[in-house]
Amino acid sequence: MRQKIWSNLPAFAPQAVVTDHLSIANVRGWRLREPSSGRRYTVLRLETRGGLVGFGEGGPATGAEIGEAKAAAMGRRPNETEFIRHRLAATPAMEAAVNCAFLDLLGKSTKTPVYQFLGGPTRFKARVLAHLEGDATIEQAVKQGFKAFTMPLPSRDSLWRMQAYVDAVLARVARARGLAGADMDFVLDAAGALTPGDAAMLATVLEKHHLMWLDEPTTVLTNDGLARIAEESVMPIGLGRSVTDIATFQNLLRWGSIDLLRPSLGLNSLSKIKRMAAIAETHYVAVAPYHNGGPIATAAGIHLAASLPNFFIQQIPFPTSERDAAMRAELTSGSVETVKDGFAPLRNRPGLGIDVSESALDRYSEERV
Amino acid sequence: MRRREMLGALAAASALGQSPKRKSGIGCECAFAPPAAFPPGSQVFKDVGSKLRITDMKVFGVTLDEKIARADRPYVFVKIETNQGVVGWGEATLEGKAGAAMACVNDLRDFIVGSDPMQSEHLYQLMYIGSFYRGGPVLGSAISGIDQAIWDIRGKVFGMPVYELLGGPVDSRGVRGYYHAAAWTLEEARVLRDKTREAGVTALKFQLPDLLEWVETNRKLTRAVKHMEMLRQGLGPDIDFAVDFHARPSPTVAAIILREIEPFHLFFAEEICPPENIRAMQRAARKSTTPLATGERLIAAYGYNDLIDLGVVDVLQPDIAHVGGITALWKVAAAADAAGIRMAPHACEGPVGGIASLHVDAAIPNFLAQEICGLMEAGEMNRVWEDLMGFAAMRMRDGRYPLPTKPGLGFEVSEVALKKYPFQGTRPFPPAFHEDGSLASL
Repeated sequence: MRQKIWSNLPAFAPQAVVTDHLSIANVRGWRLREPSSGRRYTVLRLETRGGLVGFGEGGPATGAEIGEAKAAAMGRRPNETEFIRHRLAATPAMEAAVNCAFLDLLGKSTKTPVYQFLGGPTRFKARVLAHLEGDATIEQAVKQGFKAFTMPLPSRDSLWRMQAYVDAVLARVARARGLAGADMDFVLDAAGALTPGDAAMLATVLEKHHLMWLDEPTTVLTNDGLARIAEESVMPIGLGRSVTDIATFQNLLRWGSIDLLRPSLGLNSLSKIKRMAAIAETHYVAVAPYHNGGPIATAAGIHLAASLPNFFIQQIPFPTSERDAAMRAELTSGSVETVKDGFAPLRNRPGLGIDVSESALDRYSEERV
Repeated sequence: MRRREMLGALAAASALGQSPKRKSGIGCECAFAPPAAFPPGSQVFKDVGSKLRITDMKVFGVTLDEKIARADRPYVFVKIETNQGVVGWGEATLEGKAGAAMACVNDLRDFIVGSDPMQSEHLYQLMYIGSFYRGGPVLGSAISGIDQAIWDIRGKVFGMPVYELLGGPVDSRGVRGYYHAAAWTLEEARVLRDKTREAGVTALKFQLPDLLEWVETNRKLTRAVKHMEMLRQGLGPDIDFAVDFHARPSPTVAAIILREIEPFHLFFAEEICPPENIRAMQRAARKSTTPLATGERLIAAYGYNDLIDLGVVDVLQPDIAHVGGITALWKVAAAADAAGIRMAPHACEGPVGGIASLHVDAAIPNFLAQEICGLMEAGEMNRVWEDLMGFAAMRMRDGRYPLPTKPGLGFEVSEVALKKYPFQGTRPFPPAFHEDGSLASL
């Protein structure tokens, strides 16, 4: 039904030659949910007329949005990533998923890893950041090879006295540094909970502690609000986990308000992030994709990391629950999120270089579309 | 007597320049007919110029042994000869691109051979504006070499050192300089302090201890700050020391380091981030009270406009072998002077450019210090320079480079010596890589 509505719209480019063996003939989707953390993401399976299968992951989506992705991808060739970027601009999670699957197909059809399509490797391994959640400890993450961690900032209610709050944050930083040692690094994750004024004060207090950066200090992404933080302190500021358009980052860069671009892998395709990175490069600003999704996007993120000259670090969820960890490993027929000395290796195999298990997708899905 | 003869009698300018005729039918209506005479436009000055003419321009590549000098920078020397026996020398050395610089000097030949070397400004315009594609280090270096040689001739014709033609010297005792130095422990820094005092040298420049990424880790940030703290402690209060960040950090990382090194009162911090985006550099510069310096990779006075107008740095460092020679270095200095910005010209090439730079230094009131990529101990490279130049070029006495006293730039390059160091081709600037194999900014 939905497909029909879309096909009547004249505004988009004519479809590619549908007889091509690489054109998309079949699209299926799974809405996934991790059993313990409740983390959600979407996986698409795209099959070409020639029978080649590619997988792509995006953020949480509704069944209707998966339907839109299907309508957009059907009959297209996997090189048409620019068409998809515009066609699915209103459903960013699906734009990310279709692009990822397209790149997987391109890689498989030419027997080259995805990073080759994105410009070839500029590095042979990618630095990674453990996204600690729940009661996951630094010690656990260190044991698995991580050397950089996120640290959640306690959110402040109005009765928490300012001095006590600052002291609590400093104590948390000191404790983490004490546990991990001088060679480990931290990102303070404010999750958008501060006002620009409080963020400026906190950033100034913390700057000499050499946290890698203060992440998402505020949701007030106005030029004036962010200028308060940027002008008061030298603490690097990471922003953009919910940004889905390139121009927002361009504006933040133009105003000198951002030290690290944090586009989410669930909401932005690799091709879109590559464009964001190209703009950031001319401002000497690095890119560290945010990621709070599944293992397929992690693998895709490492391909992107390999290709970006101004990549700095890739965030990876670090689940506390064994059930969540097991699900992530099963989806890719064995974990693809292994880390050594703070870096993830590149996967030098065709496409994303992973073996997605359809039975695991079925097992963990809330809905199949 | 001879000087007057060269300049010739200046006749009344009666002849108006001929307007170029439009040539049609070549498919580009905007094209003017190619000039019949070379150099273009020369005939319109026939009644107002001198009788001196450039008869030939030669370019020499000079490769030193790899043990003596880095293989990426064979010297490129330009020699200009005239119809009255006066010759001029200049330097167009371009790190990693000697072949391109030599070829570009030859590309400019038609502008130069046949022209009147007394028209230094007009010829500078001809090479820069007349090239259509302006700027860039290859053209900039070629212009630099030719411009220096033309000024050398001008000085010789007037019988004056070039700094006198430029309004100097501001201080006849010479110009202040600094050497490059390294010290990795407090003990090394203390030994260096004693040697520096003994040599009468007043300023040194150091490197950062690590390559840096655009966001940095605790380990590297701490090491950078501790390094400078150690240097101040070891060198004591009366030796100025600069640190060359060499465009390794981003503005993000530079701002953190600059904030923490404020108490060490550096001479200046150099190239705190890469040079292309001036407004990005301004982000970090706004937060620093340490004097900031930059400019060695920029070309012509135009290249420094934004730095000066946006008030980004405190010290400019054009390189006389790249910026466009004496003409361009002097113009940058003039604009900087008006804005209260000082000059510490960069020089990391051969002895000809170094000496040419001294002439401009001596004539600008906003001069701070002259660089030379040499150490306190005169090494093998200095022996070669002595061989080429006939004297110990670019060595300080009492913390200053003595001013040349002879007309022009004040030296003759020995062509016999040049033959001992034949050109061996160009090697690229050696790159550096991070731990993950990605390219580092250097």
